Order: sequence, then structure tokens, then C-alpha cells
Amino acid sequence: MSYEINRRLAAERPPLETSAEVDSVTAGIIRGAFETICFETAVHLGRAASSAIINQSNERNGSIIDAHGRLAGVSVGIPQLLFISPMAVRWGIEHYEEDDWGPGDVFLGNDPDHGGGHLPDYTVYAPCFDSGGSLVAIQALQAHQGDTGGKDPGGFSVDSLDIFHEGLPIPRLKLVHRGERRGDVLDLLIRNNRLPSFTGDIAAMIGAAELGAQLLGDLVERWGSDVVRAAMNFNIGETERRFRSEVEKWPDGCYEADVWIDHDTVGHEDVRVHVACHVAGDQLTVDMTGSDDRPELVNVWNTFSNSRGYAMAQLVSMVDPTIVKNEGLFNAVEMVIPEGTIVQPPPNKPAALGAFHPACEIGEAICIALSQIVPERSSPQVYKLGMPNAVIGFDDEGQMWMDQGVDVRASDASATEGIDGWGSLCSGLGNLILAQAEDAESRFPVINLSREMTCDSGGAGRWRGQPGTLNVKKVLEPTMAVAWMVSMKHPLRGLRGGEDASPYSNHFEVGTPGEYKIENSVRADLPAGAVIAYQYGGGAGFESPLLRDPAAVREDVLDEYVSVEAAREHYGVVVTGSAEACDVEVDEEATRRLRDELLAEQA
Amino acid sequence: MGYRIGVDIGGTFTDFALSRDGEVVLEKTLSTPPDNSLAVMEGLAKLADREGRSLSHFLSEVEAIIHGTTIADNTLIQMNGAVTGLLTTEGFRDELELRRGFKEDIWDVRLEAPPFIVPRRRRLGVPERILSDGTIYEKLDEEAALRAIRRLKRQDVESVAISLLFSFANPVHERRLAELTRQEMPGVEISLSCEVLPRAPEFDRTSTTAVNAYIGPSVTGYLDRLVERLAEAGYARQLLVMQSSGGVMTRDYLQGSPIRVLASGPAGGVVGAACVAEAKEAPDLLCVDMGGTSYDVSVVIGASAPAEVGWNWHHRNLIGVPMVNVETLGAGGGSICAVKKGAVEVGPESAGAAPGPICYGRGGLRPTVTDAILVLGILSEESTFAGGSFELTRKGVDEAFREQLGDPLGCSVEEAAFDSWRVVNANMTQAVRRTTAGKGIDPKSLTMLAYGGNGPVFAAIQAEELGIRRVLVPRSSPTFSALGALAARPSIDEERAYLVSARDADPGRLRELWCELDERAESHFLAAGFKRDDMRASYQINLRYPGQNFALTVDVKATVGPRDLSFVDDAMLADLIEGFHREHEACYGHRREDEVPEITGARLQTSVEVESPAFGAGFGAPQQAATPAGTRLANLGRGFEETRIYEGAALQPGHEIDGPGIIEETFTTIVVYPGWQARLDDAGDYVLDHMG
Repeated sequence: MSYEINRRLAAERPPLETSAEVDSVTAGIIRGAFETICFETAVHLGRAASSAIINQSNERNGSIIDAHGRLAGVSVGIPQLLFISPMAVRWGIEHYEEDDWGPGDVFLGNDPDHGGGHLPDYTVYAPCFDSGGSLVAIQALQAHQGDTGGKDPGGFSVDSLDIFHEGLPIPRLKLVHRGERRGDVLDLLIRNNRLPSFTGDIAAMIGAAELGAQLLGDLVERWGSDVVRAAMNFNIGETERRFRSEVEKWPDGCYEADVWIDHDTVGHEDVRVHVACHVAGDQLTVDMTGSDDRPELVNVWNTFSNSRGYAMAQLVSMVDPTIVKNEGLFNAVEMVIPEGTIVQPPPNKPAALGAFHPACEIGEAICIALSQIVPERSSPQVYKLGMPNAVIGFDDEGQMWMDQGVDVRASDASATEGIDGWGSLCSGLGNLILAQAEDAESRFPVINLSREMTCDSGGAGRWRGQPGTLNVKKVLEPTMAVAWMVSMKHPLRGLRGGEDASPYSNHFEVGTPGEYKIENSVRADLPAGAVIAYQYGGGAGFESPLLRDPAAVREDVLDEYVSVEAAREHYGVVVTGSAEACDVEVDEEATRRLRDELLAEQA
Repeated sequence: MGYRIGVDIGGTFTDFALSRDGEVVLEKTLSTPPDNSLAVMEGLAKLADREGRSLSHFLSEVEAIIHGTTIADNTLIQMNGAVTGLLTTEGFRDELELRRGFKEDIWDVRLEAPPFIVPRRRRLGVPERILSDGTIYEKLDEEAALRAIRRLKRQDVESVAISLLFSFANPVHERRLAELTRQEMPGVEISLSCEVLPRAPEFDRTSTTAVNAYIGPSVTGYLDRLVERLAEAGYARQLLVMQSSGGVMTRDYLQGSPIRVLASGPAGGVVGAACVAEAKEAPDLLCVDMGGTSYDVSVVIGASAPAEVGWNWHHRNLIGVPMVNVETLGAGGGSICAVKKGAVEVGPESAGAAPGPICYGRGGLRPTVTDAILVLGILSEESTFAGGSFELTRKGVDEAFREQLGDPLGCSVEEAAFDSWRVVNANMTQAVRRTTAGKGIDPKSLTMLAYGGNGPVFAAIQAEELGIRRVLVPRSSPTFSALGALAARPSIDEERAYLVSARDADPGRLRELWCELDERAESHFLAAGFKRDDMRASYQINLRYPGQNFALTVDVKATVGPRDLSFVDDAMLADLIEGFHREHEACYGHRREDEVPEITGARLQTSVEVESPAFGAGFGAPQQAATPAGTRLANLGRGFEETRIYEGAALQPGHEIDGPGIIEETFTTIVVYPGWQARLDDAGDYVLDHMG
């Protein structure tokens, strides 16, 4: 059943019927207006929402979908999620008559088996009609909810066996009918959520979707619906053309890669994602056949929409970044996503953690495969963290609170040709604004003790990965903590001879006799005063570290990204002095000798 | 009656507006980087000349010089600030580099890291910890602190930023660290986060403090030099400086937080715009300022343009102090027109002042917007340009458009120029839409105010695109930002964190915070020669619903004269909660009656009134059609046609011009597009109306 739905939802959709023609300037102006509307609605949502993950961390996205369900425009957001958003809306559009769509309506969907990502990613959408009553476009907003009413607070269960453990799946639901809030429906949603802040969040999502539909309506009134439709057709066609012209420049061939996840949440090891990228002329096919299909795997099931979205997020990072992001991307790429595997699971599989892994490994595998032919744009658009340390407790009134661990950190910020990894995360996550100690500590009973980068944890390379941080947190009250660790055995892979990033690690009750390392997944009760320490993996290196300019290594040692020892062992650079004394110098002669030795060894 | 002078330094020109008995005199002089104080003195000498006085005599009659400067911005653009060190709470050394995860372009993996104003080797942690309620959790480790300070000293650090967690709740560790730093490094500049930006969260505060430390020495150095030059030349008063908040304040006030002069130039324009809004009875304005390289957009609503505090990224650094919201786009007269991916693109690359557009005849080889409007006949080789500073030439322009645009696109020179005109228009229109949409404003409801050398060329056509029916072009538009500085009020806008549920708020604590803010403001106003009786204070509180991250500001009370905090009581707090619900509903379309908002801080805006240059209005003069000076072929959007040309200097109040027409002013060109009518009002400013 769900395979059939997936096929139908993903099928290529024709251009809109329109009697108008537009030139590139008009189409560009309307495209810009779409982006502005998405931006405005996402900002509106962020400001009005009550949960930190939305209002502080920006885990919210705006997109515009056309009447055929095609992605027509996006704003800044999280690329993976932006590319997922049309699928849930398409399920709604299939029921256009039945659900009596009309102006002033607002809908919700989050069901992984009906176009959704994972349950926490609510897609709220509002249609916009022209004066003749025809549907023109739909404003969609996505935001991550802190709870979904499943068996464990927070929406993530390390041992969930099906989707119903995780919470309430909603294929499609009308929240607002002709401008009137449906109180009974909202009451049901709010009742199925542990977080008191959800009430404000869903109000903010509805308000933002309504604003989007209204702004779209103004645009349609100004240009006429046929012109807007023609512009959407034009822009989608143009994006497909430009994407294909990039692919055409690539050498024909088949480029493959395997990426492994350490284990699922109960210990089945070495979960495999396989990707083969076929380039033939201007046609790119991404084939995930060969990815793991062991039915006993727990939690490492990535929903079909996610697999498409994460693959596309990686692909767009490897082409001209000015190509406009819309349905044309999907029209340009053939995706083979085999049914019954971890990249297109059978119905009712849990979906929460699969949206981290194997979702990210799909992107990583594509990156590794295509790094053979597109080195200058190879940088994995991933997060390899399993899941962050979510800390959950209940206040005096029994209301749940959760510090979701979307903390400031550096992790997985990899190098690419000519550019060292930098900042906090990969480019694609650059819209995620990470939580601050001063905000978290005035909301939750926690103290953040450290979030500094750890020397030598970035993958060495001619271009170096950014080191990962050690995030140390103390809980002041008894709390529950949930974590799942991967990327310990299989850390983020270096590219083209660059070294892998350092592995992740996670310790609970640090500094006590009961200190323990999280080897896989955990749902732990922490006593008051417990310290948890999460070492994030760094970014991966690019090309052999023996090629790095010794002067750059000297700078790295001064800045304590790289230690004197690692400079020698990984980079073959001999330096004298120390960072502390600020007198680091390269011993040129010794460096030459050492590098010759190391190269000879490698040969 | 004394003089008041506004000075605004731009990339190419330094602009002056002299106010004398309500009359305004404009002047421009070429900027003189790196020491821009020279251009200021040159311009002042020119003004003195025009007034028939010696410079010292002239300056002795000047009541105030109000200065908008780009020095802080230039320091960040050129990355030539002080060698800066940063001391943080141990464990938080990297916040500045991690930027809360933010990257400017999420689609481009080739985006490079920003140049660090403080590299990691000069960011050092110090063991200490203060909690959110101000209690000391871990004492400052002075031994470790001294080790860190000495490490900075070894690196010849000139300016030290100190930013510890929750220092706004309890600054004791920051202050002690400053003492230790001063002991170890006598003469070093120190910026404390509890003074520069006393509020959460840590990245915002740390970034603001680090930028403050980095630009501090060059800003203060520049201002000192200027003050010295002015004093030598005979100016005896305090120099007032335009702040990014839109207020002006003394050099002494800015000594402690030089970051407040970032973007001080455009801020002047916005202040001027607010005055125009009031005078012309057009309270809601869309302000567009198009110069040589950039296009600045801002919005005035209800004749005011409040400064905003938020996620302001400026030159790739987060700046947490209040800034007048100005959106900048790389679109100006110097923007390069080129074919990319089969389509015309304009900007953001600019030919700048050197080599400049091809038509400047100074070696420019790539076609620019100015060249395009020359091809379109909007500008002409026969006319003077920029006050006669340049002779325009057509030489090389057509060839460049043919080779670089026409041939690749398969179109004519004129078509290529016209497409460039369309694209730059569209880019600017999108920037406007982004700004207005960002505020939830429909541009149709606004009046456009156009200034900057190139603003009036495009204003009416953009207005039409946006559905705006009236455009104002003040006679002073070419030096409008300098004029705005004259109208800006001396003001101080600061806040103090106070995190508490509105139900549990302590009026005593609020009184304390406001009192502290008020005393601080008062001391600066008195030192600058203003009187307490003239001080206006607006007491405000920032609030949000529990869990929200963005606070809204609610006005509580406005007073004039001596401090009177008697209004702070329980009844005030009750009104405050309702006031916040109302404000939230207005902003976000819903209120949450069952939630009790929480207070995040107390804010105080203080200012004094000053005499502002007159911004007149009205149409008393008899209406009559203006007489054109001639005609030429120009393409104003509907193909080339004979277009009437008017000399601005010859026009009088009451004159009417029906489009299509082009008005040539000394420092600018105003295009009256087909379907538009321009009229000169009693104040000599242009009002353009869409007649369709």
C-alpha cells in the first residue's frame, strides 16, 4: 500500500495549464517574490512559536507548492526538509474534492507513509485561490515539534518497533475551514502532545500559513493567476535545464560508494547504504539498490520522502549554487529507491531516527561517489551524530520540559577542495541557529560547562576538517536523557585521500565512579548533578595531509586546531615551540625529510 | 543665529548640509581615504568661503557639527582593526567562530569562512562561572586568568574584549578580569560585554563586544584626529556623532562603545526621512537610497523609524546594538552589467569610483548601470554630471554593450542596455519587497522617498512596479543623509536584562534598572551641555510569552524633564500584561490569554529636542506648466522617443511636468516616466504622482 502511494506521490507532474507566457525577467521577479513570501512566513513562525527548536534554532522552513504539487519556491531553511515538503501536500491535493478545499483553509500532515518525513516534522499548508476560484499555489510551512505523543517524551524512542510507538501519524487534517479554526481538531492535536508549548507552536504555524496564503493571494491579484502559473512553469523548466547542463559537463560513467552506520539502536551492526550515480549525457540517475534490507533492523528506516530529500540536498550542493531550487531538480534526476530497504521501508516502520541515519548516509555516499568527478564541490551535507543528548524532565506542575540538545557545537564541518572546514556545521545546516547556554539555562535546570573544539578532532587533509567540540552539560535535577551513538566505528569519511573525521563519543555521569560510555543507545535516568559529555566528530579532511602547506599547519598549531604531535604524525610537518608560548615555527629541513619518509611508506 | 552642519562621508563623496536660519546649503567634496578628516576640513573650508568668512571665524559660529562616518564599517571591510584578544568563560572560547551555526549561504559549499577578527590563538578561556540568577557558581581563577592575559600580551594584543557568561546578571568577574588585564597590559583598550551589550545570549554579546574591541582604536583614533583638527581650526563645541540607532551622541559617550557608529551614514538618511514624513504629511515612507555602489532600503512608519535589535549581521559579524533597519543591495550606478548563464545580471560587483563606469572615461571597460542609462538617453554627454565633477563620454560604451551583452544574447546595444535597466530595477524591487514583506507591509500603502545620486532615476518606475502612486524627491536628495544627521536627536537607547514572569516582577527592581539607565544617560547629556529639563525619557519593557525567543517592546511611560519614576507600581504591571497581549496580536495575529508573559529586560530611550532644518510642504504657489530646455531621444520603458529635458535650476515652486520628461539637477537626474507628473512644492521639493 505505501509503496504504491510513494510511487504515485513521487511521479513527475506536468506543467500547469496557462494561457499566459512570461519572459525570464518576469519569471525571475515572481520567483523572487515566492522566496520573499517563504522567508517572511518562516520568520513569522519563528518569532511567534513557543518552542526553542523553532524560535531559537530555526528548525522551520517555508516552501510554495503549485496546484500540481510541484515545489515552486523555497526560502532559506534546511535543504533536506525543504525538498520533502511537497510530498505531504500532494497527499492532501489528492483529496481536494473530498476535503472541500477552499480559501481560508489550513491543513496539516506528518505521516511518513503518506509523503511525510518523520512524525515531528509537521507540514502545515494553506491554499491560495484566484478570483475565479481556481487553486494557484499552496504555502507550506514545516517545523519540528518537540513531542508527537508517542510512548516516550520527545518523539524519539530508541526501541520503537513501529510508527505508533512514536506518536500520532496524520496523513491529512483540516485545521482551519474557511478562516474558522476547528476547535475540536486542535483540541485533539494538543491533547496528543506532552509539551505545553505545542499550543503556541501550532497557533504560530497556522498564523504563518495564513499569512503566506494571503501574500500569495496579493501576488496573484497583482500579476494574474495565469502569469503566476506561467512563471512557475518557466522557473521549473529553467532549473531542470540548468541542472542537466551541469550534469552534461560531468564525464559519463558510474560512480559508486558504500557508507556504513555502526549499528541500529539495538545492536545490529554495519548497516549499509549503497549509492550508484550513473552519468549519461545530461541524465543523472541515483540508484540506492544494494542498501540494507534486513527486516530485523530497528529504527534505521528512512522514509521515502526523506530519502529523496536528503539525496537532493547533497546533489544541489554539488552544482552551481545559483540554480533556483524547485521541482525542476527532481525532474532532472532519476532516483531508484528500492522498496523494502532502509531507504524505502515497508509500511508502519518507525521513522524518527531514520531521518538522521541512514538519511545522512545517503548524502554522504553520493558525495563520496561524485567526489571522483566534482572535487571542487564535494563536501558532505550531513550530520553524523546519531542523536544529540536530549534531556527531559517534568516541572512542579507535572508539565514536561525538554532541552533538545540543539546546542552550539562544531560537528561534521568538512573541507572541500581549496577550503578548510569552518564554522559549526555543513553549509546546508547553516540556517539552523544553535541554542545558547544563557537561553537554555534560564529555561531548564542545566549548566553548560563546555563547548570548545577539541584539538586534532578534525580530519587531517591538504584541506582540513573543522575540529568537533566537546559539549559538557550538568543537570541540576533528576532527569531522563536519551541518546543514540553512531559514527564511532564508521566516522565521517575523508575525501580523495583526506583523513576521516574523529569518531564521536558520549559519556554519562562523568567524573563519578559510575561513569559510563554510551556504546549504542540509551534512555537513562540521571541523578541531580550528573554530567554528560558529548564529543562531536569533526569534519572530514580533503586530499592527503602530506600536501598541506607547512605554513598552514603552523597556523593550525598556533590556533590549537592541530597539536604539535599530530602535525608530525598526520601532516609530516615538524614544528618547534608551542601554542602556549606563541613561538611555533616550522623546521623546514626536518619536515622535508619526514614527508619523504611518509610518502615512501605510503608507496 | 548659529550654523549647524551635517557631514556624511561616503565612498566617493563627502556630503555637507549647512543649516543657517532654517535655510539649507548643500556641498560635496571628494572623500580622502585613508584620512577622511581631511575631506571634512576641506568641505568646511568651502562652506566658510561661501559664507564669506575665515574658517576659524566660521567655526566659532557653528553650534553643532553632526557627523555620520563610515570609519567603523571600513575597518571591518578592510580588516585593519586592532590586534584583538578575547577572554571568555572557560569552555566557551569558540562561540565567536561557531556563530551559532550560521552560514550566509546554505547552498554554496564554496563559501569561505569570514576573516576572523579574533583568531583562536587570541581567544582564551578563564575558569569562572556565574549562573543565570547572578550567583557565583565558580570563583574566578586569578592565576589562570593571569596566564591567559600574559599569553595575549605575548601576541602584542592592542585591544581586549572580555565576555563572560551571565555577566549582565553579575559583572563582578568581568570587572576583576579588566583590572587584572590593565595591571598586566597597561594602556591596552578594554571592552567589557557587561557594558557594550548587557544581555543574553552569549554569542550575540560576545560578537558585539569583540567587534567593539576590534574597531575601537580606529574609530576613537579617527574621531580624536577630527576633534583635534576641528579644535585647531576654531571649533569649540563637542562633536556629535550619528549612531546606528538613528540618534546622535557625543564623542565621549561613544568612547566606551564605538560599535554604535556602525552604519552611521545611512542612519542619517533614515532620520531625515522621518522628518520628511512628518512635514509632507506622508507618515508611511519607503526610503530608497541609490548611490554609486549600493542601494539602501528602509521603511518609515508613522513618521518614525525605530532602531531594531535582533539578528543583525553586518560585514559577516553579528551586531547586537540597536540599528536602524537598512537593507543594502549591491546595486548602484557603478554596478556591472554582464551575461551569466544566458541571462543579464547586474551587480553586486561594482566598478566603484575607480575605474568607474565606462562613460566616466577613466579607464572603465565593463558596462555599468550608469552606462546603460546613458545609452537609454536618460543621461547625456551634453549635460553636466555630479555637479560638474565628471564629463560623460559615450566612447567605448556601445562597443562594450555589444561585445559583452548584445552579441552573447543576440540583441542590439539598446536592447542590452534596456535589459540591464530592467534587471537592476527588478533586483531593487525585490530588495524592497523583502524589506516590506519582512515587516508585513504592503508597499502599495507607502509613499516613496528617493535620494542618493541615482535614486531619482529609477524611483518612479519602481514605484509603479510596487503599486506606489507617489514619489518624493527632496531638493536635498543628493546629500540627504548629511541633512538627516542635522535632524537627528541626541539620544541614548540602552537596555538592562531582567528575566522574570510579568506576574512576579518587582517594581522596585524595575525602578532600580531604569534609574541606573537614566543616571547614565543624564550624565552624558549634561556633559554635552544639554539640560535635564529638556531630556525626554521613554520607559519600555521587553516581553515575550514563555518559551518565545523574540521579545516585543511595550511602551510604558514617556516623560520630559527631571526623573520621576513614581509611575512604577503594581498597576503599571497589570497594564503591561494587557499591553503585551495587544502588541502580540498586532504583530502575530493571535493572543494567548491563558499565558502570562515574561519580562526579558528594561529599556530606556532618552533624547533631547534640537532645532531641525525645515522640511516644508504645501502647494501655495500657482500651478503652471514648466518650460523644457530642449528634447532628446530617450527610452523610458516604452522605446526611444523624443523626451523633454528640464533644467532643475530653472524650475520654481508650482511648476508641473508631465511625463515623459527628464529633470537635470546639479547633483542628480530625476526621471518623470510616462504616466507620471512631477510638481515642485513650496519647499522646492519634487512630488511625483502616478496619473494612471
